[in-house]
Parts: sequence; C-alpha cells; structure tokens
Amino acid sequence: MEAKQKSEKFIVPIGPQHPALKEPGHFEFTVDGEIVTNATARLGFVHRGMEKGVEDRNWTQGLYLMERVCGICSHVHAMAYALGVEKLANIQAPPRAQAIRELVAELERIHSHLLWLGVAAHEGGFDTLFMFSWRDRETVMDLLETITGNRVNYSANVLGGVKIDINDAQKDALRRGMDFLEERTKHYLKVVTEDETFLGRTRKIGVMTFEEATLLGAIGPTGRASGVQRDVRVDSPYAGYPDFPVNIVTSDAGDLEARFVVRIKELYESYRLVREIVDHLPGGDLTVKVPRRIPEGEVISRVEAPRGELFYFMKSNGTDKPERIKVRTPSLCNWGSVLTTAIGHKLADMPMILAGIDPCFSCNDRLVMINGKKTETQVWDWEDLRQYGIEYYK
Amino acid sequence: MDTQELLQQALEIVKEWTIEVSQPEENRRDIYIEARDIKPAVKALLIDNHWGYLSAITGLDSPDYQIDEETKERKIDPDKGKLEVLYHFCNRAAIATLRVRLPYTDAEIDSICEMLPSASFYEREAMELIGVNFRNTPITDHLILPENWPAGVYPLRKTFKGLEKKTQG
Amino acid sequence: MNITFPSLIALLLFPGGLFLLGSGLFFEYLDRKLVARFQNRIGPRWFQPLADFIKLLAKEEVIPAGTIKSLFILLPIFALAAALTAALSVPLFGFKPVFSYNGDLIVTLYLLSMMTLCIGLAGANTEDRFSIVGATRALTQLFSYEAPFLLAMLGPAIALGTWNISLINQGATQQSLWFIVSQPIGFLAALIGLMGKLELPPFDAPEAETEIVAGALTEYSGRGFGLFKIGRDIELVVGLTLIASFYLGGFSTPLDFLWKVFVLLLITAALQSLFARLRIDQTVGLWWRIGAILVLCQLVLIIVGNTLSPFIAPLLGG
Repeated sequence: MEAKQKSEKFIVPIGPQHPALKEPGHFEFTVDGEIVTNATARLGFVHRGMEKGVEDRNWTQGLYLMERVCGICSHVHAMAYALGVEKLANIQAPPRAQAIRELVAELERIHSHLLWLGVAAHEGGFDTLFMFSWRDRETVMDLLETITGNRVNYSANVLGGVKIDINDAQKDALRRGMDFLEERTKHYLKVVTEDETFLGRTRKIGVMTFEEATLLGAIGPTGRASGVQRDVRVDSPYAGYPDFPVNIVTSDAGDLEARFVVRIKELYESYRLVREIVDHLPGGDLTVKVPRRIPEGEVISRVEAPRGELFYFMKSNGTDKPERIKVRTPSLCNWGSVLTTAIGHKLADMPMILAGIDPCFSCNDRLVMINGKKTETQVWDWEDLRQYGIEYYK
Repeated sequence: MDTQELLQQALEIVKEWTIEVSQPEENRRDIYIEARDIKPAVKALLIDNHWGYLSAITGLDSPDYQIDEETKERKIDPDKGKLEVLYHFCNRAAIATLRVRLPYTDAEIDSICEMLPSASFYEREAMELIGVNFRNTPITDHLILPENWPAGVYPLRKTFKGLEKKTQG
Repeated sequence: MNITFPSLIALLLFPGGLFLLGSGLFFEYLDRKLVARFQNRIGPRWFQPLADFIKLLAKEEVIPAGTIKSLFILLPIFALAAALTAALSVPLFGFKPVFSYNGDLIVTLYLLSMMTLCIGLAGANTEDRFSIVGATRALTQLFSYEAPFLLAMLGPAIALGTWNISLINQGATQQSLWFIVSQPIGFLAALIGLMGKLELPPFDAPEAETEIVAGALTEYSGRGFGLFKIGRDIELVVGLTLIASFYLGGFSTPLDFLWKVFVLLLITAALQSLFARLRIDQTVGLWWRIGAILVLCQLVLIIVGNTLSPFIAPLLGG
C-alpha cells in the first residue's frame, strides 16, 4: 500500500536540461496540485574533477585551472588561490596589486549581480527587466575587457601579485561606467520595490527566517537578506579590503524581495568602492617573486564571492605541486536552504526561489566522465580528450 | 570580541574531547578529537554555544608512502594510511577546525546531519570523493559522481589514477 | 465597404483562408518586433514567423507513447479550423463579413474559446507532467477570463440592441462617442481578456517556460505545433478586429481597420513587456475579484441606462 502511494506521487522534474536552468542540475519537486511537498537535488552533471586535477599540476598551472572553476566568478577563485599560495609561501603581494585585485573583484561582483538580476527576472517572467539589466551589464563587461583584456576569465592574478595595471584612460572609463550604472541601478531598485506584479512574485515568497538561515548555514547575499551578518570582506578582510573597507548590507525580511534589495544595494557599495580605489590607487610594484616550491603547510583562504563565502583549504607538501586543494563554493552552502524553503510553496514560485540564491552549478561540480556514442561508458583521460579534440577539428 | 578571544572560547567549549591543539595560522586552531566524539563536540560548539557556523567539511587523504630503495619510487601502502576529516567552523575571522583521523580500515564517523541538516551536502561529497562513511547520514545517493560509478573507488584518494580504460571500439 | 466576395474565394483566398493565414503571421511578426523594441532588442525579420511555420511543417512529428493517436493528430487541425471559422463573421480588413446572421457574436466568441479547449485537451491527452500541469493551468485560466471577456463583448451589443457583429460594427461607426469612452472598463476587460486567451505575458502561466517548459504543448512538435501556433496568430487577428470594431468606433474601410488594429497591437505589446508573469492563482484572483465584478457593474449600468434613456433623452434636450 505504501509503495503504491509512493508511485502515485506526482513528481515534476526540473533539469538536467530545462529552460529555467542555464546550467545542468536536476531537481525533483513532488507536487500536490500546485503546492510543492518535497524537493530533492542531484548535482554533478558538469563535474570536471578539478580538485583532483590540480594535484597533478604545479602551483602556477593550478592558478589557471582554478580560475576556470566558475565562469561567472572566475576572479575570486584565482584570488582565493593566489592569496592562499602567498600565505603558504609567507609573502605579501604589494599594496597596488592588492588594490587592483579588489577592484577587479568588485567589478566582477557588479557583473554577477546584474546577471543575476536579469536571470531572476526572467524566471519570474519579467523579460523586459532581464533584457535591460543584461544590456547594462555589457558596460561592466566592456570595462573588464578594457582593464584585463578578457570579458570572462580575466586572468588578472599571478602568484604574488597581478599582471595588469590601471592607467589614467582606464580610470576615466571606470568612473564614467560607474556613473552610468549607478543611474540605472537606481531605476532597478525602484522597479523591484514598487512594481506591483513583480512584488506579487517576490514579497513574502521563499521566506527564510534568521534562525533557519543560521541553522542551514546560508551565506552571502542569501543569508544577508535574512539578517545574517556574515561577509568575509568585513569579518576577515583580505587583499585590498583592509585599506578600502566595505559596508555590510543586510535586510531582515528574508523573502525574495529582500534578496533583490540586498543585491542591488550591494551594487551601490561596489560602485563606491570602485570609485574610491580608482581615486586612491596606491603606487608601487605589481608583483613579488614567489618560489617554485612552496613550503609545507596548510592554509585556509576565504574570500567573499558574489554568491557568498568562498572557502579554499590548501595543503602543500613542500614540492612544486599542491598536495590537496579543497574548494567549497558558496552555492553548495545555499542548496540546503533553498530545498528547505521550497516546501509549501507553489510550483510557479520554484524557479524564482531556485534563482534566488543565484546558484552556480559549475562551481559545485568539478571530474570528467564522458558517455561515448555507444551505451558503454568510456572514461577518457586528459590526453585522450585532447587527442579527440585535435582529431575532431582537423 | 577579537579573534584570539573567540578562538580561546572555542577551545574552552570542546576542551573535554580535545586530544591536541595546533595553530597553523594566526586566526586558526586545529583541534584533534576522536571519531566517536564528533557529535557531542559539534553539538557543544554549534548548538549549545552558537559558536560560528560550519563552513566546510574537508576530506584529506594522507597515505603511508614507502620508498622503493631501487627505483626510488614512492608506493602507497593500502592498509597503513589514514584519512582525515576536517570540520571547519568560522566565526568572523576566527576558524576553529575539528580534526578527526580515521584509519583506512575503519573509515567511519557519525553523521552530524540530525543537528545540522545542511551538512548533508558536505557529507555526501566527502563520502563519494574520499570514501569516508558517515553513519546514519540521511541521503546516500550520488551527489556528484555518475550513477554507474564503481563502488569502492574514490577519486580523491591518492591511489586513484583513473578508471581502467575499456577498449575503444 | 460593402463588397461581397463569392463564397469560395472568400473562404479560401480573401479575406478568409490564405490571406488570413498571411496576416496572422504578419501580426505575429509585428507583435514580436514591438515587444522586442520595447525590451531594447532588435527583434525578428519580417519573414521570421513564416520561416518558422515552414520549418515546423517540414519537421518530423513525434507522437509520444501513451496518447490517443487520433486525438493527438486531430486536435491541432480542429483548433485551426475553429479559429478560421471564427473569422467568417468578423468584418476583417473593413470588408463585410462573409456570413452574417443574428447571434453570430456568441458563436464567434465560443469558436475563439475552442483553441484553449483544444490546447487543454491536447495537454491532458499526453502523459507528460509538464503538459498536464500546463493543461490544468490553461483550463483554469479559461474559466477565469472567459466570463468577464464575454460580458465585456456583450456591452456594446446590449447598448446597440443587436447581437450581430456586422450590425454592431455599423452601429459603432454611427455612434458619436466611441464605446472606449462610454464603456472603458469593458474595453480594458476585453483587451486583457484577449491577452489571457492568447496566453500572452503576463498571463503566460500555462506555458511558463521556466516552470513547465512549453506547458500543454510540450509534447507537440512539427506540424501539430505549427498548426496550433498559426491558429493562435489567427485568433490574435480576429480578437483584435472584434475589439477594434466594437470599442474603437468600428470601421468601414481597410485603412480605418489598419490603424485601429495597430494601435491595439501597440497597447498589447506594451502591456506584454511591462509586467512580470502572474501566477495562476493571481490570474484567477485578478479576474474574479476585480475583473468580473467591474464588468458586471458596467453591464448593469448599460442596461439601466438603456431602459431609462427614452425618459432621460427629452430632458437632455435630445
């Protein structure tokens, strides 16, 4: 009887391929009519084995691998890694480099939050906001390209510093860009707090109380929207943050609207920081020398990614290769919270609740496993894969 | 409260289970405890005293290397090495890490999910990738690895050098 | 313009049939282009809907297991046929309708609802979960907007005392005051009801892609999907024609028709890009708590006004 009841459950699968998700993840929502009664997650569709891969590379190569953990917040990964290696080697990057690291990190936060604003609006069926915020995001993407030469994987870091400098023309471009974006952001804040239909989809939806947020370990803007005062930039300043401090933005409401408001207000904070860094950029060198072999030891490197605290545990065995790099990305912390808050809501709210934590699947998944053309599963190593790529494009 | 006071507080809380303490960095304390004490220690730290939050669970593989005299090759003794599970608790800038050493032959530890449901993801990840068995963890489905991944193969162990290749047709 | 076409030509070529299909595609293009421009995008080229349609016709049609095959194939044809039939009594492009009889307003309105019914059935016919959720939502939405929409369309009919579409059209042209001014609630209810009927944003919960992929039509591919799509385009033309002829002072020339319908299309496109998608319970709430009551009040006022007008008119010096 029980088994029969179980099979009669009406399960709506979302993913691995689904229009709501721009990246592969799989969720199963058990629904009763329109009400969600249970939710489970399955990740790993883009697992690439990076934690294992980095053990076979030297410290410098590792930087470029870790930068590719995530396509959206690539800089914070490289920064966390570089800061960790510098801590292990017991050296300090020069102040100018630290300030530039913070500058790029804040630009990246702007790009990520604007991207999220668009995606979340799209999940709620508000395509106009989606199109507008993504158009404005181009401004910051162009700025990043002007500074670093790349739109996505900026590759601004090297071990011991940064490889880019900011000249006066770029400073002007940054100031102009921030002015434009600030103007636009004011408009978006007005839209998400005043538009009636949009509020109908966000206010009192997906509420996570302070107690829940604390217990479930919600971090980043998701946690801060529930009143959790956690921000690594404030708690344990790194890179340029001791010199250019940031103000923490929180809200007590804990619903989707609060997550919108917190992220948009963080944008203001980022604009302010970018202006401040541009105005008071310290002089000096960009890099210091880092030895090829890193002394034995274990460090923890924490940085605040756009989605929350990014946690790196790094262990060196005294050679030129890392012994173990453990990456804990912010999305992983927030999954627990989203699956718990989902229960009891309407199916129509699911995409927005999912998007509310700004999930990033690539961040979670790091092994390569390729299903061949036949049903049999083949495992290819790096060399095979490279060979395949070369053959394919010949 | 500054970082050192916070750390002192954490040390006080878990004092009765502590085997030894080390200080790898200024703002960190590594507290070694026995596997059987993990539940009371986490409960005291997180539930009773609200000291910070669980930031991550790291699985470490520390194999016992034996160096072959002739070829100078490092070989791994499959029985002697140990796994380590690290529970990182963060409170502002302070990080207290509960470290548990587990022998390969008995890599089992109690799950802390009943106190902290969100630990499920960390435990599943450690379970799949490094092969620590968490007793009574609520969900044991694969989180990251494919469904047809062979049992007993843990990719983050040092012995893992890739699955055996099937002949390509 | 009182040109009468021979029935066969009217049915197959102009103004029904082929020309109607063409204008349906053109309206879809306009709608998409306008929405795109409102959203700061470039939008499709003029032949995009036609290209889409041809591509869909050429594609393989997959009939999923567990469905009633005949129903699966017949439903899109039925939906398109209903939409085409609905066009027959409507003064398309300002020409006299092909078939005009007393009470054709009710028949046309029900033919317009046929599309939603077919979509609901099509969704319920498959075993796909997204389709079933989509079908439930489509039918729920049908029940919420249908009554207010019907009442809104009856407003001008009752005011003019005839239920014949072409007579209402003629009557509307002779009114000194357009019905949009004298019955603004009815106009809004009709326009928004049409958007609900066509599942345009913000009433696109039945096919909300981020939740249930393509809703009831998730399993449809190729020909069936193409027919549903073009059927919906024709509904757009017929619906806009009806509203324009009732509320925007009717029309007697094609030029009159064109500008009035395009103004309506502009308004719907703006409404589509202004709002976030409503959840299905919000849609139902909106229609029954606000829409239906307002339209009902207006209808009562019209009837009261009609009964009293013989007595009031002399007082106003008319």
